[in-house]
Amino acid sequence: MIKKILSLILVLTGIAVINSCTKLEEDILDESSVVGLTDKQKAEGLIAPVYAKLLDVFMHTNYFALQEISTDEAILPFRGGTDWGDNGIYVQLHKHENISSDVNVRNTWNHILIGLSRAVTAINTLSDNTDPNAKVFLAEARGMRAYYSLLTLDLYGLIFVKEDAKETSKILRGEEAIEYIKSELLAVEPLLDNTTGPGRLTKAGVWGLLTRLHLNAAVYRDRYAATFAFKNEDMDKVIEYCDKIIGSGQYALATEYFSLFNDNNHTNKELIFAVDQRADLGNGHNRMAYFSLSGDQFPLPAFPTANGTDGAAITPDFYRTWVNANLPLDPAVADPRFYKQNLVIPGDSCIPAANFNIDRGILRGQQYGLLRVSGAFLKCANGNMRVGKLFSVTRSKPTLAVDFTEAIDFTIAGSNYSTGYRVSKYEFSKTSVSGRNFGEHDIVILRLADIYLMRAEAKFRKGDPGTTALADVNLVRASRTATTPPKPLTTMSLDILFNERGFEFYWEMVRRTDMIRFGKYEGTWTEKTNADKQKRLFPIPQTAIDGGSNLPGYLVQNPGY
Amino acid sequence: MRKIYFSKHSLKFFFAMLLTSICFFTPGNAFAQQTISGTVRDASTGNPLVGATIVVKGSNQSTASDAQGTFSIAVQGNNSILTISYVGYTSQEVTVGTRTNLEIALVSNSVELNQVVVVGYGTQNKKDITGSVKSLKSDAFNKGIINSPQQLLQGKVSGVNVTSASGEPGAITSITIRGPGGIRTGSTPLFVVDGLPLDNSSTGGGDPLNFINPQDIESIDVLKDASATAIYGARGANGVIIITTKRGRAGASTLNFSSSIGFSKLARELPVLTADEFRVEVPKAGGVLDDKGGNTNWQKEVTRTAVTQNYNLALSGGADKLTYYASLGAQKQEGIIKKNDLNRYSGRFNATQRFLEDRLVLEVNLNVANTKQERPPITSVLTDALINNPTYPAYDANGKPAIYQNINNPLLFFELDKETTTINRVIGNISPSFRIIKGLVYKLNFGIDNSTATRDVLNLPNAVPLREGRLENFYTWNRNTLIENYFTYTVNKTHHDISTLAGHSYQKIFVQGRNNSINRFVIGGVDPIYNPGVGQDLTIANNRPRGFAFINELQSFFGRVTYQYNNKYLFTANFRADGSSKFGENNKYGYFPSFSFGWKISDEDFMKNSAFNNLKLRAGWGRTGNQEIPPKITQELFTTLGSASYPLFPAAGNYPAGYAYTRLANPDIRWESSEQTDMGLDFGLWNGALSGTIDFFRKVSNNILLQVIPADPVQPATDVWTNVKDMRITNRGVEFELDYRHKSSTGITYNVGGNITYMKNKVENSPYSIIPAGSVSGAGITSSTINGYVNGEPIGTFFLKEFTGFDAAGLSTYTDLDKDGIVTDKDRIAAGSALPNTIYSFYGSTAYKGFDLSVNFNGVAGNKVYNYTENVSFSKLRLAKNVNSTREAFADERESLNNATPVTSRYLKDGAYMRLNNVSLGYNFNTKNIGIDRWVSNLRLSVTGQNLFVITKYEGYDPEVNIDRAINGVSSYGIDYLSYPKARSIIFGLNFTF
Repeated sequence: MIKKILSLILVLTGIAVINSCTKLEEDILDESSVVGLTDKQKAEGLIAPVYAKLLDVFMHTNYFALQEISTDEAILPFRGGTDWGDNGIYVQLHKHENISSDVNVRNTWNHILIGLSRAVTAINTLSDNTDPNAKVFLAEARGMRAYYSLLTLDLYGLIFVKEDAKETSKILRGEEAIEYIKSELLAVEPLLDNTTGPGRLTKAGVWGLLTRLHLNAAVYRDRYAATFAFKNEDMDKVIEYCDKIIGSGQYALATEYFSLFNDNNHTNKELIFAVDQRADLGNGHNRMAYFSLSGDQFPLPAFPTANGTDGAAITPDFYRTWVNANLPLDPAVADPRFYKQNLVIPGDSCIPAANFNIDRGILRGQQYGLLRVSGAFLKCANGNMRVGKLFSVTRSKPTLAVDFTEAIDFTIAGSNYSTGYRVSKYEFSKTSVSGRNFGEHDIVILRLADIYLMRAEAKFRKGDPGTTALADVNLVRASRTATTPPKPLTTMSLDILFNERGFEFYWEMVRRTDMIRFGKYEGTWTEKTNADKQKRLFPIPQTAIDGGSNLPGYLVQNPGY
Repeated sequence: MRKIYFSKHSLKFFFAMLLTSICFFTPGNAFAQQTISGTVRDASTGNPLVGATIVVKGSNQSTASDAQGTFSIAVQGNNSILTISYVGYTSQEVTVGTRTNLEIALVSNSVELNQVVVVGYGTQNKKDITGSVKSLKSDAFNKGIINSPQQLLQGKVSGVNVTSASGEPGAITSITIRGPGGIRTGSTPLFVVDGLPLDNSSTGGGDPLNFINPQDIESIDVLKDASATAIYGARGANGVIIITTKRGRAGASTLNFSSSIGFSKLARELPVLTADEFRVEVPKAGGVLDDKGGNTNWQKEVTRTAVTQNYNLALSGGADKLTYYASLGAQKQEGIIKKNDLNRYSGRFNATQRFLEDRLVLEVNLNVANTKQERPPITSVLTDALINNPTYPAYDANGKPAIYQNINNPLLFFELDKETTTINRVIGNISPSFRIIKGLVYKLNFGIDNSTATRDVLNLPNAVPLREGRLENFYTWNRNTLIENYFTYTVNKTHHDISTLAGHSYQKIFVQGRNNSINRFVIGGVDPIYNPGVGQDLTIANNRPRGFAFINELQSFFGRVTYQYNNKYLFTANFRADGSSKFGENNKYGYFPSFSFGWKISDEDFMKNSAFNNLKLRAGWGRTGNQEIPPKITQELFTTLGSASYPLFPAAGNYPAGYAYTRLANPDIRWESSEQTDMGLDFGLWNGALSGTIDFFRKVSNNILLQVIPADPVQPATDVWTNVKDMRITNRGVEFELDYRHKSSTGITYNVGGNITYMKNKVENSPYSIIPAGSVSGAGITSSTINGYVNGEPIGTFFLKEFTGFDAAGLSTYTDLDKDGIVTDKDRIAAGSALPNTIYSFYGSTAYKGFDLSVNFNGVAGNKVYNYTENVSFSKLRLAKNVNSTREAFADERESLNNATPVTSRYLKDGAYMRLNNVSLGYNFNTKNIGIDRWVSNLRLSVTGQNLFVITKYEGYDPEVNIDRAINGVSSYGIDYLSYPKARSIIFGLNFTF
């Protein structure tokens, strides 16, 4: 009996000992780490995420909304009382009534700063990497850190200087911030490559960013000035860097304007710096193309769920600048940048799927397209796609025509699904199953036309009588030779230059910066009367202010918020 | 009080026996051995007591009563004294005398003073408890169709708020004890089943306690204050619920069969317009009526009278050394929404075996459960049923669900979309205990809880509307193993009773999940669930398999000392050191002490002749923790990320894997800690006829675990987990329970009672201006939030713009708090909380002869509910667009047709309610009278009504709602969004005992 007891106790204690006394170290089972990677894998794996964050920054609701919906180029009402209400943030943004809890202001901030932080990680880790590309990647990471800083300076009026991921960033504003960005860009310029394509930061890309920095330096130096004091040295620098880009001979103006925004634009020689999207990588988005289209516009015969969303439209004010500049001609006739017809209606109302392409540019009036019934497109007897007049079927309003009107505002009538002229600038990515995903086109950050127009502006601001500036502007206008190019301009003024930038770069996310620089941001346009200069900057997101509250005085909210 | 129960029959029998015994008795037999038989019954109900212990005083003779309550035992002569005892009843001593058949009526200890309470690593007598603990036996549970075991407790225990937010079979029932102590999810109590602490993460969805057959539960003990829960250390902050399953009794073999059938219907339809009303109201609202001539009640179309069948077979019994309880249960439950079912098969085997002259006691518990759940796409079906135009016929001319361009016919989706979840769970433990020397017992507890779940989400292909079809399979595994070794040592000396406990525990929880998918099926082909290979489209972008896995380990050392002086002064100290793999190197272990005192005033000399048979003052303090945070947060994550790849080179394909930090490490993270003080008074008067408890508590949580934004915003990830040091969440309250029971001389017994809890919650010293929760999305309100936690206000606060009515144009007006002329998020106010400040319940029961009736109400007050369903689904504008609506949403004539309806206090409603939760009427047949007692010892018929009515001002389906729309893991409260409607049920039950 005693033996039995003893053996039992032994067994029990045995179990106890075997299973007990752990050090409680946490094993990670489902996450891969960087152990065992080659230097090449590490180097590429570190620089890729720095660029990849641009995709999130350049979303329709993020950088696009901040740069365009806050201006006369775009307006987004509460569509039909059901869509894009979003707690009023798009209305606030347009009326310059932003508040610090605006999610889009916050998301843009977060994405930019995550990108910046990834650049810091890459800078900290790439220096001892032996991969042949590591040196260039390191320079690109520094350059991207400067680019992300340029974005925060432009949007929020401050930059974060961070050399070591473990340190707390130093906050700079105004002149100090400009100097920091400038010195960083200049430091990496000699180390960069010039053959890596527009998807990565090249020498020319850095020259372009320096151009932007100098052109806007007067604004960044004295943000709330009544009039900005543009310094000649800055303008000289603008001209110098533009000359370098133009003189490099690497870039060429596109003959067909909308080819700049096609799926295959990566090889377009006008692009200097862009967000490289590849459908086969699967990360990209088609938001630039889908945002403005109607929910009843289905641009891809292959995908009956890929539609638009009735998002932003252009304001009537902006439309009038086109009309007035081209009188007595209709802008669609006068300027190939305004409109490109791909769909001839009703003559070809049965179209082979391969030939179906929606119109590009600014869409007006009744829209035609693929007819979708119960989730499938109608086909003609010969198998072609049936094309016809579109109605708001997806809006449960099968009798309401998709007929875009000039008038759009925040009233009930002005907020209906079809109000406002729409922008179909980027090609609707051919592989976009949902209309939102699988972007293919590169999203343009800098292109050669901008270099010419910035050079023209610098020359004009320096006191050039207008002739050389006019030459640069007309060179760009005349280059779109695929169809009849717009007529050359004959006179030059800041207002003409401002409008020209609108015609050339509408919805390319430069409008807010342009409006501030040209002193137009406190102006009046559809649904916008607020003339508060403090709205030239966005608020620092409340979450960041809260997060920084345990370091008193560290992160100070911009005035007026 | 000694009452002997005689039925007419037994009285005759008794006299007959008496007569015969006289005939046979001779004086010489006075000291001879004789056999006495008898029956033990409950004095008040007359029910036989199974397994009562009968001991002949001064001898080794003992036996137990059988299933009919009868026993027989050999005694030495007429002067022998029998001691009859039964748990929960006052023991009796009976002198045999000349009788050979005894009718023993034991009086149940109505103040439950002898009730045994499970306190974690042991049991204590209720009378000796110094903490705030409530023990609930199975007969006190809520009756009816029980979706999850938490519902057994609803309204039964003060301080415990059970919210069964969904009427769906098997849905999660939320339960908080003395208010939420943290702001993120993870404020649920720790559940311990037969000594095995469960992992609260549910496998395969649904309630984590779904596997337990409620009929197997013997008792549920709720440890409320820290002095009771500190023994569970880092998991005790939200209270502990200990579930004990049934065990057999020696000498009483019973076979119990019970079955029930229940019929449930939608308790209350949402009052959306009927087709006729719709025809009037749409034009009135300014719309153009789209009339298809039908008259469809869409809510009726998607719901049904649901039938729930329940069968349960339980065997229990045993001999001297071995006792067992075994059961098989089958529950087939239909949801009131069509195509929604939950079937559960469960089996349990509990055994206790004694060896070595009872020095070694081996307990084994084994529970297996298989649950299968089928769900239609509930949210979309409910939405469609509420907003669909009622003039659209539901069926076409062929009797098939009609297909429309502009509305979804929910009936179609019953056929096309389904979700099937199968969960297999085995939970078992073996716990031998060995008495080393007198008073010193060593116990080992080894347990495992293993569950696997498969969830198939199927969208079938279809022609009109066109769908390609998709099947997604989710697999989850959860393996929770436990090993505990502990010693208890008890010394009983005159005036001093000391009991000590010391032990070690190691628990390892492994959780894993995987999923995969395939697209595009042939219409009418094989059901892809049975052969996913029939799918025709598999791409990495659409069908990337995913998975996760983690291990949580906990190592603990714990101890307890209880000391009683003179049986009047009680002292308990608990201590636990908890180490967790979730925490950083420097904070691996947390230390959780508690102390509590009790004074049995009623046992003092000066109380001797008072009406109080029990008066006990309790006071305690303790510290507990909460470690319910995700794993791995002490380690940063630098890993490949699909979204971090980018084409670096012109060639297509072969893109580099991008590496990025996706998680910031906080190596210093530690448990959230909570300190609780409790003072209570237990009382019983007039021999326990009136009894009650009053408790005051204050629970303060600090080191609040939260995902926060770092001060320097340049970070690879936007937030990091941290302990917000100075932030405090306080729960204060009073709990009061009262019970009165009486038996009249005519044999009617009755019992009335109730409980009420008054509670206040407050957030203080938060460094954040507002911590938002309750995300919404929908027309015009995406990016708004409903809840917001701000200093000075409770958790569950609704932080909203204040709706003040309509202006001349018929547009909503709101308070402009900062008077800047525009109404923005800055103008939001704390508009009330979802947490009730009053929780109450009251009950009554009565029994006469074989009949018994019990009634049970429960309710809450002082809380608000946000009717997000109305906010997002119903408005005048939408009505004008032929979207159905409730009248409440467009009642105000002044409202303009195109008034925007953002998230504001307009949709904040009073959430107070009182519910008639349970009415149960039963009849116990006198099996002797009908002559079947040889085979059937007990036969009972019952009928139960559940959720018979709710008194409330709330116009949604039910004010008991809580759809958690957490933001960054911060829980929302009190949001009603297309909650699965509750049912009203009638259940008929039949119960046999053989």
